[in-house]
Amino acid sequence: MILFITNKQSEKYLTKLEIKNVTKSFKTTQGKNTSITNAIENINLSIEDGEFVCFVGPSGCGKSTLLNILAGLEKPNEGEVILNGRPIDETGPDRLMVFQESALFPWLKVIDNVEFGLKMAGVGKQKRREIAMHYLDMMQLTKFSDAYIYQLSGGMKQRVAIARALVLDPEVLLMDEPFAALDSQTRDLLLVELQLIWARTKKTIIFVTHNISESVCLGDRVIVFTHRPGKIKKEVSIEYRRPRLTEDPGLQDFQRSILYELKNEIISAKKQENPSN
Amino acid sequence: MSIKNLVARQKDLFSIIIFLAAFLAIWELFFNLEIWPKVSFPAPYQVLESFKNQIEDGSLPSNILVSLWRLFLGFLISITIGISVGLLMVKFPIFGKTLNSFAVGLQSFPSIAWIPFAILFIGINDSAILFVVVMSSVFSVMISTYSGMRNISPLYLRAAKNMGAKGLNLVAYVMIPAATPSIIVGLKQAWSFAWHALIGAEMLITTLVGLGHILSVGREFLLMDQIIATMIVIFTIGMIFDKLVFFKIEEKIRKKWGLSEQTM
Repeated sequence: MILFITNKQSEKYLTKLEIKNVTKSFKTTQGKNTSITNAIENINLSIEDGEFVCFVGPSGCGKSTLLNILAGLEKPNEGEVILNGRPIDETGPDRLMVFQESALFPWLKVIDNVEFGLKMAGVGKQKRREIAMHYLDMMQLTKFSDAYIYQLSGGMKQRVAIARALVLDPEVLLMDEPFAALDSQTRDLLLVELQLIWARTKKTIIFVTHNISESVCLGDRVIVFTHRPGKIKKEVSIEYRRPRLTEDPGLQDFQRSILYELKNEIISAKKQENPSN
Repeated sequence: MSIKNLVARQKDLFSIIIFLAAFLAIWELFFNLEIWPKVSFPAPYQVLESFKNQIEDGSLPSNILVSLWRLFLGFLISITIGISVGLLMVKFPIFGKTLNSFAVGLQSFPSIAWIPFAILFIGINDSAILFVVVMSSVFSVMISTYSGMRNISPLYLRAAKNMGAKGLNLVAYVMIPAATPSIIVGLKQAWSFAWHALIGAEMLITTLVGLGHILSVGREFLLMDQIIATMIVIFTIGMIFDKLVFFKIEEKIRKKWGLSEQTM
């Protein structure tokens, strides 16, 4: 009842992003001991064009690491990531990241922050302004175009961050717990807005969160990760009308099934940290 | 500015005026007690007289201008060299690390100790003064640029690279602005070091003009009123730049970067 195998969708969509056997480990040095920690292990996942995919997992499960690898900000030890049939090499504006904390530039006005990527791409001043204003309008931030970042609330900052990513018309939008620091009313509002933007722009979105209701509210598909080293534990397809609200009772079954999966992971993660208990 | 701020400011101004008046009164009192000979301890009105004379013959304005010109020039050279070398230090880490330890040592090196070297190396002229000014201020700029660049939040760099910034664009549009709060602190320090060094150098490298030179002349001709008048000028110039120029810039940047809760 909960799990759907969505063959229908894979026929309709084209594969956008393929993650093949990706493994990433870190060297950690504690005093004289150097140990290797596997962050993620052997991840295989295929993401369709225009799909909204959420990664959930216990904290420290490597879901953010995977997102950084997709962005090209970190390199996997093994495996590869293929975007539109071509393996990705370095970071670039075709896979844009929206970070958890505000990574907006405080020395620039809102409008200049939004234009930043276009400026780097060498787009002319007038054209830049035009595109930036279009997305600021979409995010209902037109009034704040000349404000500085410190003058904005947390929710407005994340909306600017989304606009700043969208202006570059990325192939994939990567979101790393972008709403984690917001109060719940602001977050609920942004969850709806994000769905509307997604519907309007038809972007492929990968959204990392540890919040189950957020993942169910947003995702076409929710990927549940195991604790470290992160592996894919389960995929849950969520076929439900949009825009969804977090408190929609129809989503509770999905939430429950993901919670069930995650609970065991959180318990075993705890055990790993404190083996005596 | 709100009315509350305005009132607070007026209160500040009022207490400063009271303080100055009290200071002048005590000064006058000590003068009248005649503890010291008049040559070593002039009255406030004698200092005022000296001001008047120096302004009337045009020597004070021209000496101020010469000193400020040397200061600006030296400071400009320090900024240019300091920031460029600071950037190179970031670009080449081994060079940077090595130079940084030397720069830290040279930053605390007394500026006056450069003067004999400068006289023999360059001569008794303006360039030697400039040399001393630059040597005493350039390392503050260098160190603050270097450390400011190295302490940029990795989040800014990741975001910028992700949006396609690289090479010179990354340096010009992200790294330098991101390091600005730290660089400004270094510039402020460099400015005050340059100012100290300038007066010292003008006193010891005799070039016939400049505020430091006036101090030396005052000492040789026992013109205490002229010495005190010049000291007041030096004090005022230092204060104007520190409080009005750098404080304002720093405050503005801190506010913009969200480092200060205070709103003006």
